Amino acid sequence: MTRDQHRRLVAVYLVCCVMGTVSTAQRAQDFQRKASMLLAAEPENPKCFAEGRKAFTCFWEEDEERAGPVEQYSFTYAYQNENGSRCPLTVAPAAGGKKLFVCHLDRIQMFVQLDIQVHRESVMIHNRSLLVELVFLLDPPENVTVSSTGHQGQLNVSWVPPPLKYMDDSMIYEVMYAKEGDPAGQVEVARACSELILRGLQAATRYRVEVRVRLDGITYSGYWSAWSDPVWMETLPADLDPLIVSLTFIITFILFLLCLIVLLSHHRFFIKKVWPTIPVPDSKFQGLFTVYGGDLQEWLRQTSGGLWVTSALLYSEERPSPVEVLSELNLCRSLASPPLPPKACNASTQRDERELSNGSDSAQTDEWRATQQQHWLMERLRETRPGMGSSLLESQDTYVTLSTNNHSEEDHVDDTLEEALPLEMHVASRKTPLSEFHSDLGSGQQSSGSGRLSSQSSFEYPSQGWTPKGPGYTYMAVADSGVSMDYSPMSRVDDLGKVALYANEYKNEIPPHRRPFLTRQYHVHDDG
Amino acid sequence: PTGRMKIILRGLIALLLIVLEWTCPGLPSPPRPICDLRVLNHFIQEARDAEVAMKSCRDGCGLTELVSVPQTTVNFDDWERKNATEQAQEVQTGLWLLHQALGLLQASMTDVDLNNHIDNSIRNLLSINAVLRSLNIQEYTPPTSAVGLEGTWKVSSVAEVLQVHVNFLRGKVRLLLVGAEACQQDVS
Repeated sequence: MTRDQHRRLVAVYLVCCVMGTVSTAQRAQDFQRKASMLLAAEPENPKCFAEGRKAFTCFWEEDEERAGPVEQYSFTYAYQNENGSRCPLTVAPAAGGKKLFVCHLDRIQMFVQLDIQVHRESVMIHNRSLLVELVFLLDPPENVTVSSTGHQGQLNVSWVPPPLKYMDDSMIYEVMYAKEGDPAGQVEVARACSELILRGLQAATRYRVEVRVRLDGITYSGYWSAWSDPVWMETLPADLDPLIVSLTFIITFILFLLCLIVLLSHHRFFIKKVWPTIPVPDSKFQGLFTVYGGDLQEWLRQTSGGLWVTSALLYSEERPSPVEVLSELNLCRSLASPPLPPKACNASTQRDERELSNGSDSAQTDEWRATQQQHWLMERLRETRPGMGSSLLESQDTYVTLSTNNHSEEDHVDDTLEEALPLEMHVASRKTPLSEFHSDLGSGQQSSGSGRLSSQSSFEYPSQGWTPKGPGYTYMAVADSGVSMDYSPMSRVDDLGKVALYANEYKNEIPPHRRPFLTRQYHVHDDG
Repeated sequence: PTGRMKIILRGLIALLLIVLEWTCPGLPSPPRPICDLRVLNHFIQEARDAEVAMKSCRDGCGLTELVSVPQTTVNFDDWERKNATEQAQEVQTGLWLLHQALGLLQASMTDVDLNNHIDNSIRNLLSINAVLRSLNIQEYTPPTSAVGLEGTWKVSSVAEVLQVHVNFLRGKVRLLLVGAEACQQDVS
């Protein structure tokens, strides 16, 4: 033999020795594990188990202190109707200061009763009769693989069954699965098959899966094997249930249809709320915008005022407004605002306006004029209404007085007039256009035209007195004898566009902050 | 036209006969093989029930003479060494022996409950024979004259007979069914 051959032989021998040592160690470890399981599961002694078609092992446990040498013990076994045989014993260490006496048989017979006796120094210590095919203790399933099935909450578990011929259809398996961190889990049973689908699992969760095997007990029987090594697997993440998604979509669509139907059936109501119609004075001022392009003066000139006056529609639509009282006539004392009956108003106002227009700026002349006017007015009043006199105050008539004013207060008047005049006044003038309230009257003073009162006007009776401002004011008193009059603030031509605004903002109420001021001065601009 | 019609009609009849011959052959076809072991499992469980019931029997449950029963011992290596015919003959011999033994029990048993179990067991043995026939296993009846048949035991108690009966079904009969060729073909 050459050196190389020698070396090869030595190497092969060493490899074999190592492998043998490894396998022996592995077998010893397996036996220790199974022995510990049987020690807990089997009460009888000796404890025996079959690992396959050929291997059969029996052992019993004794304390190291009490146990004698192995030679003292004898293990004899006999099959039914056969002579007994003796099994050589070996000793294996056990946990907790104990010793195991082990008998291992390589040739076994099944489906026949086996009688076992253990003697220690001719004294029988253990006795047992069993059937070998009923004490199987198999190795756990190998190659346990866990995979996803593609469906949510499912895992597919597969394994390789123990390689035992004739016994494949007698095996039952237990698959234990638990969530990560959960010590106890759930168990599923599989019969005579090598894969199982776990259902009802939580989504996106890591699961620990273990498998063990046992024979079903009809033909073959035995103990549960040890659990296989755990395998971890995560389930698929949660997916939107298509049923829920479709139902949500359908419900949303139905709600949208319902809203649409409601909107369409009440579209006029919603349009009115969202885009309120702004009243356009076209209907009332026929031809004002279409023919005259919004030129009110021209329109007034062309159209007759009778259209306004005779149009019952106008006045039926508009409510009579409360007129702020300018004065309360005190006949006993100084006549601040002599009242005038409406019938005599036209004539008297014409005259008054003429007189007023001729008034000077001097204080004395103004005072004298005021006094003169008061007297004249009173006389006129007495003439028309002889019975009035002192009873005038007790009458329910309301009065409107107009007074001239200094320029300084003109702006204030403009503000007061334009802010929120609750009055609507229709003043028709043949000659001059009514652009401003005070200016119109002023112009009315100059011309023959004057404020012609309509046949309908109503006033609130003043409850408060009104102190005259002084001789610098001229007054035009209008007495109401049950005739209603509508006033509308006629602005300048420039401000004609605001007419619509004023019409919109027209309210039939005195603004609260102005309520205490039941009297108001309408200052007539004296253009002189 | 009538001549043509006749020719066509004959052709159709011939075709019909050929088709019928394919679908319905003259000879009766063999029974479908019973490969499902659940049938045997059912028999095994009933035999076990009889064995358990026998343990509670006190009176009128004894045998007057020795009864031959088949040996139930199975060594897988030895079993695989035998061929199919030997295996089948061994199983059928054992079934015949058990049938004889259970017949003797039926005659001597006075316990009504146990008699029902034995009747059931005898019926199951006949069913197993039918199962073997379905697997194309040739019928074999051992010679009645042979006294010292190989592979037999002599038992003296009813309990032993029923125990042998259970073990025989679980062992050799099952191995024969599992390894039957008819069932192997189905699997492959």
